[in-house]
Amino acid sequence: MTKTAGKNKFKVHFNPDNVEIVVDQGENLLQAAIAAGVRIYASCGGAGTCGTCKVQIEKGDVETARTDKITDEEFSKGIRQACQTRVLSDLSVYIPVESRLEKAVLAQEQKRVSEIIATGWRFVPPLSKYFVELPPPTLDDNTSDLSRLLRGLRQRYHLSNLSIEFNVVQKLANTLRDGKWKATVTTLVTAAKPRAGDRRQPRVIDIEPGDTRDKHYSLAFDIGTTTVYGQLLDLNRGRVVAESMAYNGQISYGEDVITRIAYCQKPGGLKKLQQTIVATINGIIGELQARSKVDAGRISHIMAAGNTVMTQILLGLNPQHIRLTPYTPVANFFPAVPASSLGIEVGDHAYLFTFPAVASYVGGDIVSGIVGSGVHQRKALTFFMDIGTNGEIVIGNSDWMVTASCSAGPAFEGGGIKHGIIAAEGAIEDVKINRSDFEPEIGTIGNAKPKGICGSGLINTVAELLENGVIGQNGKYNRDLPTKRVRPGTDGYEYVLARASETQTGSDIVITEVDIDNLMRAKAAMYAGCQTLCKSVGSGGCDFEQVIIAGAFGSNIDIRRAITIGLLPEMPEDKFIFIGNGSLLGARLTSFSTDLLDDARRVAQMMTNLELSENVEFMNNYVAALFLPHTNAEEFPGVSKRLAGGSNNNQKERIKV
Amino acid sequence: MAFEIPKTTYSGKIKEIKLGKGDKAVIVGGESCYPFYLFEGDMPRLPRIAMEVYDSAPEEWPEAALEPFAGVTDDPAAWAKKCIDDYGAEMICLRLVSTDPNGLDRGADEATEVVKKVADAIDVPLIVWGTANHDKDVEVFRKISEVCHGKNLIIGPVEEGDHKQLGAAAIGYQHTVVSSSPIDINLAKQLNILLGTLGVPDELIVMDPTVSGIGYGIEYAYSVMERMRMAALTQQDDKLQFPIICNIASEVWKIKEAKASDDNDSKMGDDKKRGILFEAMSAMCLLLAGGDVLIMRHPESIKLVNEMIAELTAG
Repeated sequence: MTKTAGKNKFKVHFNPDNVEIVVDQGENLLQAAIAAGVRIYASCGGAGTCGTCKVQIEKGDVETARTDKITDEEFSKGIRQACQTRVLSDLSVYIPVESRLEKAVLAQEQKRVSEIIATGWRFVPPLSKYFVELPPPTLDDNTSDLSRLLRGLRQRYHLSNLSIEFNVVQKLANTLRDGKWKATVTTLVTAAKPRAGDRRQPRVIDIEPGDTRDKHYSLAFDIGTTTVYGQLLDLNRGRVVAESMAYNGQISYGEDVITRIAYCQKPGGLKKLQQTIVATINGIIGELQARSKVDAGRISHIMAAGNTVMTQILLGLNPQHIRLTPYTPVANFFPAVPASSLGIEVGDHAYLFTFPAVASYVGGDIVSGIVGSGVHQRKALTFFMDIGTNGEIVIGNSDWMVTASCSAGPAFEGGGIKHGIIAAEGAIEDVKINRSDFEPEIGTIGNAKPKGICGSGLINTVAELLENGVIGQNGKYNRDLPTKRVRPGTDGYEYVLARASETQTGSDIVITEVDIDNLMRAKAAMYAGCQTLCKSVGSGGCDFEQVIIAGAFGSNIDIRRAITIGLLPEMPEDKFIFIGNGSLLGARLTSFSTDLLDDARRVAQMMTNLELSENVEFMNNYVAALFLPHTNAEEFPGVSKRLAGGSNNNQKERIKV
Repeated sequence: MAFEIPKTTYSGKIKEIKLGKGDKAVIVGGESCYPFYLFEGDMPRLPRIAMEVYDSAPEEWPEAALEPFAGVTDDPAAWAKKCIDDYGAEMICLRLVSTDPNGLDRGADEATEVVKKVADAIDVPLIVWGTANHDKDVEVFRKISEVCHGKNLIIGPVEEGDHKQLGAAAIGYQHTVVSSSPIDINLAKQLNILLGTLGVPDELIVMDPTVSGIGYGIEYAYSVMERMRMAALTQQDDKLQFPIICNIASEVWKIKEAKASDDNDSKMGDDKKRGILFEAMSAMCLLLAGGDVLIMRHPESIKLVNEMIAELTAG
């Protein structure tokens, strides 16, 4: 170590993220983690009072101010509060599950989710386990092991028409004898083709000695562009044993699908991204395993729903043609693949099944959401929207469906917003602005000190700013208001939501005109997409019986304010239904029911995709929607009336000549 | 049964807007049918033409365009008088080209003086057209509006970026605003809504959809204007029921086909006629799309267009 005039520099290595950063001697460990991009959950913002930022020092010296949040046992294991710890040497630091930021998001997701799910399906998981007791072979009955097994399955369960995986045959002789001729067979069926009368052929994918029917597990995954959610399912009881989520590791290679596709064109790029998403999935599986104590080797099936790009990258298929006109995916229906061949750490026998897609920009995640929420089962005309990095919408019912992808951009997830953050502890979520002095009253997730603003907070803020005349219908600040909250900033005018002294970050949290612009573009894309779809099916104004909103973001949205800014159509609030993560819901339900698995395939085929990127009508609707709430006031009569009654007068008095 | 020509049913009407003041004030708008569809409705006010005058001697005008104004191009008031007296102009559009920060960058006081002089010298409505540089226009028009209070000027272009300041000046001193948007029906409507929110009364608004000449994208302007009229007349879209003003002169006379002399390319024909025809034909297209006021340059092309208007509206 060379001594320089100033401080020594040390390397801090973070696990399991496997990232390293060089910091000055004495640097705060929490700061070092943030600087390294390691997300640690610190709800008190580093004050040392909450004890959520516990980390384990695996190697190296630190100096720490111990508080009563650390027990003797923890202390002896090297557990410290990151925020109270300073770096004194090269370090290796392990971030335990409970200290990772993601948990806060997961907790959030559960909030206010209505139950609307597919109904009428039988609990018949595609993955089944059968226990057989076979008579040991004798000289009189010396038929082969395999014939003996098949005979047993036929006699006991009337199972015929089975196909056998070779790896089952390979271990058959030993397994049967190890288990003293008692064994458990795992079978898997895949989705039947719609209207094809052929009999399903279950495949035998595994055989275990003895009776293991009580250990019957599979995984459901939602592979999002930004976040990945996983659930460990108990297929005997039809319930979730454990769930977890993580940021998609590919974020480091680009925030949206287009940059990811571009990255795949670099030498080794596709492989890198494929390995990255697999690492993310394995990380989640590791957590699920840790929480449930279920051995990953017992997991026999994975149902994954993702958009077309995420699906193709996961399967190692180059997504390059998705980006280029005429936007073709490699396939809409992918055969099941052995999960271990992709590098996923589950049993060697486990298959990964991906949801069928509709088109390049309408993927399996949407099919999954539709199937999960049962849109395809009901006559009611439904508007389904999945609000994520790419907003997808579906209009239809049990007879027909049209769909489109609106490139809304990441604003709803806090992306592209100056102080935007994902909906986690400390995110400003609720905002009220006082009509007379324009002072805000803010509410944050977890009531923590604010550190940024999340998508739903952004919608609430913009709606409040609009209703109180702080911004005009074009999203620009009214510069003549008697308040210091509106001021010129680096990105045009801005509104100060929280002053530096009140925030975790130590600097002001503001909403800029650029932020408002980004939100307007995102909401305009969604609304214009809906209008264009309605027009395409010829129903003059779409008279929806229900609006289903999916997306982790969706469950925190304030309907009235989302209508105020023109994101959602003006309808009675009771017509809006939130399903949370629809993609994960569908993946879970299809893991429970072969009926729904068949439905997924049928739904993917019945959806008609409308390409909006080159649609003139869409562009026109889009520009019309780039206004608050909309250029055509008659689309939002209630909001327009409220605005005309309120802010107008406020503004008229303030005209300065 | 006798054949009946199918007719469009109109549910809306363009607002009648009075420009200028006194005996020579001009009222435009009032249509209850598509342009010149007199068999379906009324066009109580004929389209009007404003003649273009620069606040400083023009530098890039072709000879053909300068010739009719020889001797007066360095005196805006005399130039405006000549347009009215010699060429029968019913309106004048004074362009403040010298205030352009990228050009002579003359200040607000100087510009105001010129406007005042022209306004005092004429009795027809005066349109004052800035440089579309928001900061500069705000500065210049603030002063002009105040000094010319009572002259009922028409000021423009008023764009989203400066609509608050210019709109406020118009309200304060009773001038009409030209609500100007970049060839998009929705943006045009949005700006009109914003002006309304600001408190600019409907009777002080005309709109400029941004136009261009033949061969340079006139079909876009045509289509946007056509859609504005459809929305205004058949869909009762009251935020688009304003008369349309088309600033076509400078768009036509800057293109190379209007400027090139016939020495360069004999196939292009007589250069004087060519420029005039380009202007007249572009203007006609815009009238057929719904233009109510045209800003034009050459007396000959104005004459041609006026003849066409007379023919199309003859009983």
